[in-house]
Amino acid sequence: MPTSRTLSPLRGALEVARKELTESLRDRATVMYAFVLPICMYPVLFWAILQGVMVVEGLQDRTETTLGIAVAGVPAEEHDTATEGLIHALSPPSEDPDEPAANSLKLIWAPESMDMEQAREWLTKDEEESTEEAPDRPDAVLFLDPLTILHVSTESSSNLASKRARGRLESHASDLRMEAADLAGLEAADLNPISVSTVDLAERGAQGAVVLASLLPLLLVVMAVMGSFFPAVDLTAGEKERGTAETTLLVPLARSSIITGKVLAVGALGMTATALSLFALSLSAEHLLSALPVAVDLSISIPTIAIIGAIPLAFFFSLFVSASLTACASLAATFKEGQALLGPVQMVFILPAMVGIIPGIQLTYSMALVPVINVVLAFRAMLMGQPLYGPYCVTALALALYAWLALRLALHLLSRESVLLAGKTLPLGRLLKTLRGTASTR
Amino acid sequence: MQAPPIRTTNLCKTFDDPKRGAVHAVCDLNLECKEGEIFGLLGPNGAGKTTTLRMLSTILAPTSGEAELAGIRVSDDPLEVRRRLGFLSGSTGLYPRLTAREILEYFGRLHGMDEAQLQARVEDLLDTFSIRAFADGRCESLSTGQRQRVSIARAVLHDPPVLILDEPTTGLDILAASDMIQFIQSRKDAGTCVLFSTHILSEAERLCDRIGVIDEGRLLAVGSLEELRAQTGKEWLEDVFRALVEEVDTEAPAATPPANEE
Repeated sequence: MPTSRTLSPLRGALEVARKELTESLRDRATVMYAFVLPICMYPVLFWAILQGVMVVEGLQDRTETTLGIAVAGVPAEEHDTATEGLIHALSPPSEDPDEPAANSLKLIWAPESMDMEQAREWLTKDEEESTEEAPDRPDAVLFLDPLTILHVSTESSSNLASKRARGRLESHASDLRMEAADLAGLEAADLNPISVSTVDLAERGAQGAVVLASLLPLLLVVMAVMGSFFPAVDLTAGEKERGTAETTLLVPLARSSIITGKVLAVGALGMTATALSLFALSLSAEHLLSALPVAVDLSISIPTIAIIGAIPLAFFFSLFVSASLTACASLAATFKEGQALLGPVQMVFILPAMVGIIPGIQLTYSMALVPVINVVLAFRAMLMGQPLYGPYCVTALALALYAWLALRLALHLLSRESVLLAGKTLPLGRLLKTLRGTASTR
Repeated sequence: MQAPPIRTTNLCKTFDDPKRGAVHAVCDLNLECKEGEIFGLLGPNGAGKTTTLRMLSTILAPTSGEAELAGIRVSDDPLEVRRRLGFLSGSTGLYPRLTAREILEYFGRLHGMDEAQLQARVEDLLDTFSIRAFADGRCESLSTGQRQRVSIARAVLHDPPVLILDEPTTGLDILAASDMIQFIQSRKDAGTCVLFSTHILSEAERLCDRIGVIDEGRLLAVGSLEELRAQTGKEWLEDVFRALVEEVDTEAPAATPPANEE
């Protein structure tokens, strides 16, 4: 026999992890989920949303809307003189009659005087009921006395017409105030004795932090789970399907070292996915926000303390996720069944992470003991520049404990003969029996 | 006195089947293989051959009884057993995304071989088993025969004193099966103890110094081919095997299976 030395359990686990990573990085699905998706997903998603918003804005600008004008008690032929100023404000003449005007609002006169009830009927009648006496139904109706805009909120064109009419009337009212103030020799502001304005004293960076803190922790949990998903299935159920599980059992290492090595490999890929998504977000977020059609005056940057503080949490959380997913995937006999099994399991991590979006929930000592929620809230507090050192430490310790427990579960399951060499996927109902103890190997 | 390379004492394995209850795959198996001996475990499908070999290779834990490899109990020190054992079966596949060279290096490192020694050993095996031409291609692209050669190289990388082969020619074409038989013969010449299971009688007849006939988890007879012929009065191994199985079936009703000790 060639001379050999006994590897330490840690060295053995690291050798197994290195081999598993080499294999995983040659698997297209794993590379896609651990590298390509984290880098591309959020920038591409935000870019697509941005393009969508711009397209919708553009379409709205080009949409022609109609506004019915109705008034009670005034003969139809007198409409123009009675409402000349309003009409001019609502539909100013186009500078280029051949070019369709943006935000156009075409006015349709009611053929005869209408009361409010008749104006309502005009707006809500069916298209087929149009007659010469009652012309086409407008998108919204402006009733002149009292000045009221009638619209149907469930119809987008009606909302658009209402919004355009209201905006133009408010602008006209402002002009009238200024003219009246001029005539009276007053300042325009004197006709508006109570003017309230609000000033946001929050720094741009702090505003950006609030936006980041509400979304980023959830996104990072999602990426950690997605990054671990495929490797966890591949290194357990996939190995059984490929017929290499027994080969792995023949290596001169304790089962605990082999399984720890697998969990480390899965965790490393999960952490890589998390780090890459964080990196891609930090590079693209500010640029994408600046391209929004509405002005968003935010400074998006991740505080250094949040990055430093996130590292231990991300480490323990990734270990927790990877050990849990590896343990569950080990019950499956094939890759496909492993995927089906982990589908609901990943929601166990993602759903609690949504707590991070709810405002008002703070990281407390008791919250620091709740897995997933604790890491989300701790990260959120750090992003907002409010690190809570006591609960943070409890969070880190709790995550380390949960990671250890999940690793013990994975060790326990993957040492069971009934799990290791099962030719078919074990139903969840057999899980407890499996945990209680069938034969195990060392 | 030096311990035999392989010894089992009242070895039992019972599986808990949800539908059938306790299934006794191996019952009170007593077996001893000598140094430099080729021992064939002969039996039909489901006889308990694979379960026995899996217990000896530490993949399965015995329900009761003892299995020893080079004097080391598999239940006491499974790691040391794995260090002294080369195991090959239809279910010890190669990692498809690794190359042959990477697989050999991986197992060598886990066996604690130092890097220089490992590289020399790998180069030697690449030549010995004619692997060099495809050593750096992923195993998923290799033919069945090429994979078998890599698997053999993996099993003997650490030059184990005991080699256990579970139906090593199953699924191989004629040439690959012939290579395997030559390989088994060569290990005997090198002084290795080889225990292999088969249900192909001609293989056992050609290779084995001694044969153990196993059926329904029980060892029916052990001896050289001549001894088995004398015991049964039959000439051909096929007839010897049939006579042993029928003798047990007629003389003794199935023994009471041991209680499920799991």
